[in-house]
Amino acid sequence: MRPSHILALVVFLLLGFDAALYFHIRLERLPRQRSAAYINDIVTAGLGLTDLCLATEARYTRHPAVSDPMAPFMDHPGAIEHFPTGSFWAVPRDHSL
Amino acid sequence: MKKNRAIEKQFNLLDYALSSLWRRKLKNLGIIAVFALVIFLVASFQILTGSLTETAERILAKTPEIVIQKMSAGRQESIPVIYLDRLADIFGIRAAVPRVWGYYFNETSGANYTVMGVDRAAMPEGKNLAMAIEGDFPAAGQGEAALGREVAADLKLAGRRTFSLFRPDLSLKSFRVSGIFAASTDLLTADLIVTGLDDGRDLFAIPENRATDLLVYVTNPNEIGTIAKKIADRLPDTRVLTRPQIHKTYKVVFGWRSGFASICLLTALAAFVILAWDKASGLSAEEKREIGILKILGWQTADILVLRFWESLAVSGLAFLVGCTAAYLHVLFLEGSLFRPVLLGWSVIHPSLKIVPVIAAADLLLIFTLSVLPYLAATVIPAWRCSTVPPDAAIK
Repeated sequence: MRPSHILALVVFLLLGFDAALYFHIRLERLPRQRSAAYINDIVTAGLGLTDLCLATEARYTRHPAVSDPMAPFMDHPGAIEHFPTGSFWAVPRDHSL
Repeated sequence: MKKNRAIEKQFNLLDYALSSLWRRKLKNLGIIAVFALVIFLVASFQILTGSLTETAERILAKTPEIVIQKMSAGRQESIPVIYLDRLADIFGIRAAVPRVWGYYFNETSGANYTVMGVDRAAMPEGKNLAMAIEGDFPAAGQGEAALGREVAADLKLAGRRTFSLFRPDLSLKSFRVSGIFAASTDLLTADLIVTGLDDGRDLFAIPENRATDLLVYVTNPNEIGTIAKKIADRLPDTRVLTRPQIHKTYKVVFGWRSGFASICLLTALAAFVILAWDKASGLSAEEKREIGILKILGWQTADILVLRFWESLAVSGLAFLVGCTAAYLHVLFLEGSLFRPVLLGWSVIHPSLKIVPVIAAADLLLIFTLSVLPYLAATVIPAWRCSTVPPDAAIK
């Protein structure tokens, strides 16, 4: 077998694996997600939720949508942001690197 | 015929390039592994943040159109319910509902709960809330509560139906568990304790004439901005948040410029710059000698450039495919476990992250442009410099 054929085989195997993943998502995960969407809409509207429950360590990372941008620094004068999940915050537009 | 010969020539060059790579397999497999790891890190973060942004937009589509919070000295405080009267004659408001909510720190486990008291009858979809609960929605004023699954696990109820929380004056408030939220709502309710409005006020010692925030529902979504402005004019000591602002938050929080992404990208970039610099700083004596011999045998400069191009494309293309596939698997089956410690921080409550990974063509193109293209340039340019020198000089 020529080396180029071996490379083509490896690439096709990888792409085939990616295609299998794609169909797994389409046939397995997405239908489950669609059926959960109705219930999630009821919970969001029924309780007036504004945020995803991802990080519960600090109030501004649990509810970033309804917290002040300066909330991480307001515990005392000169306070620094010290919660690990705060590292997911983007730099404000006017203070970008 | 001529076309077939040109294609056959390219196949031969590719064969030679692959054989050449295989001769130095340890070095080249190492480069592929490191390169794939760098791409995996960047792609994982890109897919995870993209998926979270998409999930937030989808799940929070029915969030209240307007949320009003009272501000005092730069901090949020409870809002007088009488403020609702000042909104009564704003045309276009369908409903305005007071809500009580706050955080409860469980000193035993170190977990933070979100406790929410709502008037179910006043909320849109309130009558359907029982569909999301295994059990019943808490009855108003009965000391009942519906728990998120993680809260139920954290309280270690072990079959008990009652639990108690401390009021601010350290007296105990007892609750009876009326139901547990369905697992499919984990991403919204994992840390929630939902109770009636009066029970929420009782727990947080909030007077009856005050609430934590006011939720405003608007008839025409196109008028959200106008109505929000009217509310802000009438209630100057409040902060008015609109649904588009809430949705925008998640785009900003998980945008590619977020702090952690910057660190990942900088690390990947630094690793790549070192690799590219090493390549671009010149070929090894053995590689120069090989090029000289090829030229003596009749190879043209263009052939050598094509040879190097195929070599680089095989290495970087394979690394790209392996890196991106591994990143997708990482988010799909391992729930982005590598980034979970950063995403969860010191949180005691760990909601499951069963999200469908979303990968956009733009993301793939960005990763491809940042990794494969510079690598191609970094390897072809020194090959061109070397192949333009006379073959006898290259061999010497």
